[in-house]
Amino acid sequence: MLSLSLRAGILTLSLFIPTLATAQNSARAQAPQQKPAPQPAAQQQTPPSQPELPNAPSPASSSSQEPSLSDLGFTPQQTQGNPKLQAKLNKRTEMLKIHQRLGLITLAPMAATLITGPMAKAKGRNGQIITEPSNANLDFHAALGGLTTALYFTTASYAIFAPKIPNNPKHGAIRFHEALAFVHGPGMIVTPILGYDAYKQENAGEKVHGIASFHGPVAIATVCAYGASIVAVSWPIHLKFWEK
Amino acid sequence: MKRNSQLAFVSAFLALFVPHCAAAQFDTTWVADQSTLSYHMSHPMHEVDGTSHAARGKGVCHAGWCDFLIAVPVKTFDSGDTNRDLHMIEATRGAQFPMIVVRAHFAQVEIASRWIHADLEVQFAGQTAHYTQVPFERTQQGSEVRITGTIPLTCSDFKIERPSFLTVPIKNEIPVHVDITWRQQ
Repeated sequence: MLSLSLRAGILTLSLFIPTLATAQNSARAQAPQQKPAPQPAAQQQTPPSQPELPNAPSPASSSSQEPSLSDLGFTPQQTQGNPKLQAKLNKRTEMLKIHQRLGLITLAPMAATLITGPMAKAKGRNGQIITEPSNANLDFHAALGGLTTALYFTTASYAIFAPKIPNNPKHGAIRFHEALAFVHGPGMIVTPILGYDAYKQENAGEKVHGIASFHGPVAIATVCAYGASIVAVSWPIHLKFWEK
Repeated sequence: MKRNSQLAFVSAFLALFVPHCAAAQFDTTWVADQSTLSYHMSHPMHEVDGTSHAARGKGVCHAGWCDFLIAVPVKTFDSGDTNRDLHMIEATRGAQFPMIVVRAHFAQVEIASRWIHADLEVQFAGQTAHYTQVPFERTQQGSEVRITGTIPLTCSDFKIERPSFLTVPIKNEIPVHVDITWRQQ
């Protein structure tokens, strides 16, 4: 009886221990013997297996041993898509792209207005007959100023009316960009008003005087703030166009 | 008689459970302790890095293979500028597909070696891409293991329309540097 029980025990041991040991060894044997050179490459692209839960684990590749997203403790709010927010972001980006393009376009008439400014300034002393500027110079400068103002406020409207994203405190260069709007924004309101006053005075044959004499300095400050605003949103600029 | 049957029972018990215990020791579970994931974006006028410390991960090694899962919300990447980050979320469809999920698969024998070569499946921006034999360096730090490496993501792999600045688009390559410290559970 003793020998029978011992035999049974030895037989059981001989059956199970080698089976498990072999399983372990075969798993090791499947492992790559030699490491290939580190050359990662994109293999293929596949659409998400579950469109309604795009980031859920793929059922094809999952097994009971593989960890799943639920193991990581993310909340459903974090893992669920929000198409409404995506649509809002798309609209925001579209409007800000227009804002960016128009802003750069506005720079051209703005610079031209600044350059033609001295040509529209009355020359000569008070009391003498003013021969310069010509009406053409004045009108050209005024027209450029009008175009700049129209483009500027159109540009601004695309930023002002772009959808706002909630719970998104601003930081970084965008803060300087927005802060500078509080300089060039009022500047773009005041400059044309002062310019109109100056225009009336010069058309009346007078040298620009009074508050209208600040038209030039205010315009220069406005253009500087506008330029700084563009640089701020582009910062840090890393010029290396020669590199591909 | 009684002694014999007891001996038989002990033998059978040992035969059944001892190998299981040995195998269980070989199975390991890992949890990400600290993580830093950074993408790098190149533009002729800009070099930008966006970093997230919000990645979570878990790994299971079983039967000769290891399967690791790492997930990070897209919106947690910070490039130092809110406007750029929102644009990144828009371009990568991050509101509709808020998570980046990386599944790594590699041989268990590599878990103790300096270099781990993993096959990766990356779900991002509503697309899935596979990368084979991506190298990661493993460094033992006390009881923890630090894994560092770079996943060579590209915009085209995930059908991301490359954002442009001054009409010049960013480079197609957006490599993601991974630096995660794991501890064994």
